[in-house]
Amino acid sequence: MDIIPFGFDIISSMAIFVLAVLGLGVIASMMGIFNFAHGEFLLVGAYTVYLAQANNIPTWVGMLAAPVVVGAIALVLERIIIRRFYATPVAAMISTFAIGLVLREGVRLLLGGQFYSVDAPLIGSFFVGNVAFSKWRVAIIVATVLVLGVSYLLLSRTRIGLYVRASLENPSLARASAISTDRVYAATFAFGAALAGLAGGLMVPIYSLNADIGVPFLIKSFLAVMVGGMGSLGGSAIGAAFVGAFAAGLPWAIKPVVADVLVFVLAILFVKYRPSGLSSPWRR
Amino acid sequence: MAIDHQKLSRPVLPWIEGGLFTLFLFLPLVLEHYWVLFITRVVILGLLALSFDLVWGYVGILSFGQALFFGGGGYCAALIATKLQVTSVLILLPSAVAGGMILSFVIASIVLFGRRSPTAVFVALGTLTGSYVAERLLQGWTYVGGQNGIPSLPRLTIGSVEIEEGIRFYYLAFGLLILVYLGLRWLVRSQFGLVLGGIREQEERLSFLGYKTQNYKGIVFCLAGMVAGLSGGLYVFHEGFVGPAQVSPMFSTQVALYAMFGGAGTLVGAVIGTGFVEAVGYYVSQYWEMGWPILLGFLLLIIVTYRPGGLISFVVPDRERVGAFGGKDADVGLELEDKCHGHA
Amino acid sequence: MSKDSIELLKSHSRRLFMQRAALFSGMIALGGGSYILNPKKAWGADPIKVGFALDLTGPISVQGIPCANVAKMLVEDINAKGGIIGRPLQMYLEDTATNESLAVTRVSKLVQKDDVDVVIGGITSSMRNAIKDTIINRGKKLYLYPQLYEGKECTQYLFCTGPTPAQQCDTFVPWLMKNTGKKFYFAGADYIWPHTLDAYAKKVVEENGGEIVGEEYSPVDQVEYGATVHEIMTKGTDVVFTTLIPPGLPVFVKQLYEAGFRKRGGRIASVLYDESTMTISSPAETEGLASCLDYFRAVDDPFSKELFEKYTKLFGTKNPLSAAGGSTGTYRAVKLWEAAVKESGSIKRDAVAAALDHAKISEGPGGGAEFVPGTRHVRMNMYTAVAKDGKFDIVDKSNGPVAPKECLPK
Repeated sequence: MDIIPFGFDIISSMAIFVLAVLGLGVIASMMGIFNFAHGEFLLVGAYTVYLAQANNIPTWVGMLAAPVVVGAIALVLERIIIRRFYATPVAAMISTFAIGLVLREGVRLLLGGQFYSVDAPLIGSFFVGNVAFSKWRVAIIVATVLVLGVSYLLLSRTRIGLYVRASLENPSLARASAISTDRVYAATFAFGAALAGLAGGLMVPIYSLNADIGVPFLIKSFLAVMVGGMGSLGGSAIGAAFVGAFAAGLPWAIKPVVADVLVFVLAILFVKYRPSGLSSPWRR
Repeated sequence: MAIDHQKLSRPVLPWIEGGLFTLFLFLPLVLEHYWVLFITRVVILGLLALSFDLVWGYVGILSFGQALFFGGGGYCAALIATKLQVTSVLILLPSAVAGGMILSFVIASIVLFGRRSPTAVFVALGTLTGSYVAERLLQGWTYVGGQNGIPSLPRLTIGSVEIEEGIRFYYLAFGLLILVYLGLRWLVRSQFGLVLGGIREQEERLSFLGYKTQNYKGIVFCLAGMVAGLSGGLYVFHEGFVGPAQVSPMFSTQVALYAMFGGAGTLVGAVIGTGFVEAVGYYVSQYWEMGWPILLGFLLLIIVTYRPGGLISFVVPDRERVGAFGGKDADVGLELEDKCHGHA
Repeated sequence: MSKDSIELLKSHSRRLFMQRAALFSGMIALGGGSYILNPKKAWGADPIKVGFALDLTGPISVQGIPCANVAKMLVEDINAKGGIIGRPLQMYLEDTATNESLAVTRVSKLVQKDDVDVVIGGITSSMRNAIKDTIINRGKKLYLYPQLYEGKECTQYLFCTGPTPAQQCDTFVPWLMKNTGKKFYFAGADYIWPHTLDAYAKKVVEENGGEIVGEEYSPVDQVEYGATVHEIMTKGTDVVFTTLIPPGLPVFVKQLYEAGFRKRGGRIASVLYDESTMTISSPAETEGLASCLDYFRAVDDPFSKELFEKYTKLFGTKNPLSAAGGSTGTYRAVKLWEAAVKESGSIKRDAVAAALDHAKISEGPGGGAEFVPGTRHVRMNMYTAVAKDGKFDIVDKSNGPVAPKECLPK
């Protein structure tokens, strides 16, 4: 019966990863920009939830507010700063790096450099026989599936999704067809950021909140996106699922310290030898 | 933008370099002991920032992993000092350099080499990951102290003379900085440097011309790793301590910040950036303890957005800089053309 | 952002500011994480400079801030009563920021630039190890370390005022075995304190006929314990003796709770938990948890209660006086050092060290304390307590001060 808790652990870890990486994947594969502030978007989402708790507002309200807050901030940033750098991706990376720095230090200032814990809206576990399933982790799995579903539908079935796909395949033609590519880019960036904010908000009950939680997520997210293959949203999700599975699975077999390092090393080597990632056979 | 031929004959950079050299040469003689320690640290970290500028400003490799070579070199030297009871500078510093070199070679072979040239993003990410992995490994490895690091390092010695922190250590570090600086300066203004500039601008075209660009990149990357290792060796003996935080991504990105702030592609800009950030940081945090990092982030953002040339671009025209990112490409192309056609 | 949300943000950071406002009121920020508290009125004599190196930011700040608060309270007290040997105290505070590399730089400032006469501080063992050389060898100063730790620190001029493994395990482990069960699992963070403390605890377990069913050390910042928790559950563990620290500790406790560990009769033992640490977990998760320290808020001798009330009046309830965080150790360090200076009449390192060797205070949180001569460790009362509904109940008190059993002559 060992397999069930093991399996649940893996699935819930995969779900958390996919949720965290989706936002980066959207921005990276759709705009070609690697958002170095991704970890900090997660952080701001988490912070929003913490603020709610600190002011006696129910945390689930904070969790709904998180994507809105982060999306709004991202929209502003995109208008003022990011859009100058679409022609030079490297400069864009550096500018997002600077933005991440400002956000991280800003949150550090607001947190007073301390660590806080946030309670999940659902505490405790379901028990199926002898096996415990943390209620909140189940909720995250459900949320991830929903988010994936909604994103897919948004992209493939709606008009907005059509505009987005058009702008990314052929910007000039899209503009010629009266699509405002400027607005599309802004919306995409904001959407990716909002996803990150939502992820941060949903995850914060599991990890304690402090100004540096973004950094390891940044690295893992990058790796996941590259493992999955830039160029498709599905690819990022798959990459994240893989990385998440490994991150949760390896410690069951080997020492946690080694496992942690191994995930990164394997991911980097994989990307080196297969730069197009896992999803290369597929197209979006 | 057209070349201003009159300006060609009046370069500003050497004046800045000369001025700073003189200033730093005599500064410790007038400062209190604590401040001598402070500028020693600036000098040592400036060396590290130089290593970043070398790869980023001149070759266009965004290395977010310089701390790995810095800390790695530091650990090498610290281990030899504590496990083998050696304190001589002549053994420890070269071992730090060697540590930096070996590590950078390993990272280069994963991140830089390969059948196809890796993207800038992959390099940045790969080096950042290297730094992160190293930090985690060191935290868990008891032989090198784990989270504790290696404390109580002995002082460096030349023969029987101990190099205490203070004036002695300062001049050691300063001397090494000057040596490395001159060496790098010569390198980037030579034919070799020209190739580097070419790699940064148009790597593909250069490789079509027959240059093995990967070899050049590898050499420079390892060179930068060696410089970073040297800096690390000096740093850990100055502080008397080495720990996993010194290979961390946080530290790597801090170094990148120093160099970008000061101005990439000028070598001296990296040192200026280090000094500026450290000094201003110390004073500003008197009034706003927790606010300084956020202010720093804002300043970096402003510089990156509006003045990619960094602080030094306020004084030094873009023409004299070989390194610039995000725009001003025309200028640099023209300067290279200048050199090719044998202008001053 | 709407006006309401801005207000929300402001009120929150204002509250945060208030938490540390009491500490910093009257202090001057010197830049780079340094603070100084000058004696209030004019004195005839030069001040004695007391240096404190504590984590005011970072994960350990929850322990560092109360230590700093206690330090400030005592320094102001001592000054109000006429100082020591006719001289006032000037307090220098450095933020070691839970970053050993940064701490070394800042502590070197304390001993070189500020030239303090003594350094008290360092909370985690890795911090202590990082800064002790800077203080004792390079700075040639006296160093008092206030926090509970793994023992075996016998460096000259380094005096420890926190509980040692012998004090925390000798009576605690048998109590755990009697009141829960014999199967022990050790879950710790991967650095020196957990490894060394667990080695001692395992010895006591085996000497008392217990069984060790597993042992696992995780990276300090690991926040995922599914595998460990599962192993604990499948091995039929009675007691989980954990030496994890934040940020992993609250996550681990939560995951254990969610797995139903307590439901089937298990108990967590963590010597890092007391009333103030409780804030990192919810009451349901810590129900039944046992701890053994030199002081709990529940300790009810008059002096302790009075001290606690005085502290709370000055600094509020957010960062309370606590033993797990080292603030009681800081109390002892300052007071014992004061006694030593009074006895030796000087602040020269050797003179004070000689007096400190047998220094004694008759009152303190949890009781008095006394250095065991020749060992640089302190004899003190120990209490075992169990968490109930977010508070602690004392279930066992030592018969008088317990010996630290460290640095004994061979």
